[in-house]
Amino acid sequence: MADMAVVLAGGGGERLSVLTAERAVSAVPFGGKYRIVDFVLSNCCHSHVEHVALVTQHVPTSLHDHVGSGRAWDLDRRAGGIEILQPYRTQSHAGWYRGTADALTQNWDAIEERRPDRVLVLPGDHVYRMDYRALAQTHVEHKASVTLAVTRVPSDQSRRFGMVDLDRDGRVKTLHEKPAHSTATHGSMGICLFDFEVLGDALRARPVDLVLDVIVPLVERGGVYAHEFSGYWEDVGTLSTYFAANLDLVSPEPHFALHDPRWPILTRDEERPPVRIEASAAVERSLIANGCRIAGSVRRSVLSPGVVVEPGAEVVDSVILSETRIGAGARVSGAILDKYVQVGEGARVGEPAGEDERCDFSGLTVVGKDATIPDLAVVHRSSIIGPGARAEDFTSEVSPGSQLSGRSWLADVAARTGSRQ
Amino acid sequence: VNGSRYAYVLAGGEGRRLCLLSERRAKPAVPFGGKYRIIDFTLSNCVNSGIYDVGVLTQYRPTSLNRHIGTGRPWDLDRTRGGIQILQPSLGAVRSDWYQGTADAIYRNLIHLRRRRIDQVLVLSGDHLYTMDYNVLYAFHVRNQARATVAVTEVPADMTHHFGILETDEKGRVVGFQEKPRTAPKSRMASMGVYLFDRDSLIQWLEEDAGMSDSSHDFGKDVIPRLVARDEGVFAYPFPHYWQDVGTVDSYYESHRALLTDRPPIDLADPDWVIHTQSADRPPVRFEAGCRVAGSMIANGCTIGGEVVRSVLFPGVTVPRGAVVRDSIVMGDSIIQRGAVVDRAILDKLVEVGEGARVGEGDDSKPNTACPDHLSTGLTIIGKGAHLPDGITIGRNARIGAYVTRSYFTSDVQSGGVVDGPESVH
Repeated sequence: MADMAVVLAGGGGERLSVLTAERAVSAVPFGGKYRIVDFVLSNCCHSHVEHVALVTQHVPTSLHDHVGSGRAWDLDRRAGGIEILQPYRTQSHAGWYRGTADALTQNWDAIEERRPDRVLVLPGDHVYRMDYRALAQTHVEHKASVTLAVTRVPSDQSRRFGMVDLDRDGRVKTLHEKPAHSTATHGSMGICLFDFEVLGDALRARPVDLVLDVIVPLVERGGVYAHEFSGYWEDVGTLSTYFAANLDLVSPEPHFALHDPRWPILTRDEERPPVRIEASAAVERSLIANGCRIAGSVRRSVLSPGVVVEPGAEVVDSVILSETRIGAGARVSGAILDKYVQVGEGARVGEPAGEDERCDFSGLTVVGKDATIPDLAVVHRSSIIGPGARAEDFTSEVSPGSQLSGRSWLADVAARTGSRQ
Repeated sequence: VNGSRYAYVLAGGEGRRLCLLSERRAKPAVPFGGKYRIIDFTLSNCVNSGIYDVGVLTQYRPTSLNRHIGTGRPWDLDRTRGGIQILQPSLGAVRSDWYQGTADAIYRNLIHLRRRRIDQVLVLSGDHLYTMDYNVLYAFHVRNQARATVAVTEVPADMTHHFGILETDEKGRVVGFQEKPRTAPKSRMASMGVYLFDRDSLIQWLEEDAGMSDSSHDFGKDVIPRLVARDEGVFAYPFPHYWQDVGTVDSYYESHRALLTDRPPIDLADPDWVIHTQSADRPPVRFEAGCRVAGSMIANGCTIGGEVVRSVLFPGVTVPRGAVVRDSIVMGDSIIQRGAVVDRAILDKLVEVGEGARVGEGDDSKPNTACPDHLSTGLTIIGKGAHLPDGITIGRNARIGAYVTRSYFTSDVQSGGVVDGPESVH
């Protein structure tokens, strides 16, 4: 039985703020050394799914760099393996993907060529370990035309999910997308296994959204079943869930075990030396990836490869992405710092501003890629520093809840080159 | 141009003086630097120099080495043309037999030069630590119109008796060679075991050497001295950077200490000279509440709840709350249980130190009774997969064999003591 997986990795959007300014959600780093897409690709690898197509649209460069030939997941294959389904034009057609179903429709020829018996549609921005063979087993047992992976959802969270009502056999009776209130106990995880013919037929009507235009009508016809998943699963596509899921990894009893020798999370090897902890360092309750050098203090934080924390610097309750440097005596708290950020000596990032502070992102401070925060600068809570912001852009303290826009790298180089002539 | 160079890497070394560390693996496969194996440095030098055609000569306990090399993927040596090939001893051809010495090993593999369109051939040791751009060596060789070039490094005067010492004229031509001189030589330039030969000259010299019954068929002992004596055009390339033969337990330990200094002699984080190795698919290091870590290198996959000071930990080591590791090297997937203390020790892979055990205890400096020459500076060494019972005390200069279990211990182990493990199948 040959299944083909289609990973929806085209999303960017606003939800992850400046983290997705220059990359797709799937390519956002997670858990110190991984990218979000690693979880779904590792699941494919360990579940023996041998054809994987990645649907890309929003700034895919970073995703392409990461996935490469698919080697890290043993998906660099002579036959099958990984392929990219990008938006394209023909003599008679040009179209960005208008939605998830549209992306599948536009690529139906490519999917059909592979002659899969079933098509497994997978969101590219979830953190979980799942054996898709168990999902397929449920599908076969029910002789289903579509099987949705579902998980128990707390009643106050229903507006984040497609809530499903099930009958006693596990058949989906109704599916309500993001209802304000729901009596249903289970939500769809966005993971769906389609019989090839069923999906092909449904796409003839040129649907746009996979849930609203394809699955809901199929539910009404019957034949859609649920596969209950009880393990850890998190949609990390929002700043608050992304931050919380990262920090959960450094809690005393994390909900998700990054290390499982039977189901390792595979990623592209960065070829960095072991973590260097200097004599002056103080480190606890943190995840620190190879290539980091720590001379200051790090607590309750997740550090990606190559982060440098200089002496006297302090990092607390934060997520710091690759190659970022925290200058001597600086303090970073409750913040997400993207890659290549330079925090100047004695600077304060995520500084509380007293009682009346506004908390647009539950108090989180987010600093975009390549931003430089000058020495002694103060960036208050809930503020956002755009990618590439430079020291001279900081004219005063960055007040709580405010946004400092970044600079385009190209425009910056062009301006500097122009001024030299 | 890159396709036109070829390197032999000699990786059959026993590394006897490394004691337990090379008991069950060839010296080039000995783990080093928190995540690497010794051979990674040579293989990375090759590919970082643009040499993607490498033959690795193996003989002594090659399993660990062969598994590490695999298809050559980490070094981009899994290639359609060239790449990496294991050159094992074999039977069946005219020249088939065990490798007698380094020169003999190459002699039995000269066939690999037959169809390669190369003018020179590199012969490297797989068991040294250094980062060298071999392009510089090639340029030196060509500039001097040498037939053989030997890379040399300056060693301290009191160490010359461990090395092959070369004496050169002002142009770099080698005019004298002494293998491990007993009396103080004129020069302190030691051969690094890195040779660049003219291809056809090498074939001629090795054919000749093979026919000599009084030769031990070794480059250092036989071939190079003979070429120098006959003035065959041997030049010495003075390599100005760090080079270390981690041949003894002490030098192995000191090389790790050097990595922990403020200015380590090899920058493992140099983005322009990455040391490539197999990746371990491990999550980042997990530091738990209350841990205390200073002056250490800790690889992905470790979990630290206790105290780690001035130590190097390989992937997957667990040091829970209440355990202490000081001035030690701990290899992959070892676990130091609560209340245990490890001090000035080298633990091989998969070692378990029981609760409250003490490894490297006291200040008795009695040398090891089984290998007094190699275990006398206070280091205690624990073999692969050894399980040390709860509460046991193991003194200094002690040697605990691979795969010992709790039943092997009837009492504490005094300084200089030996507990042999089960014999390996061979």
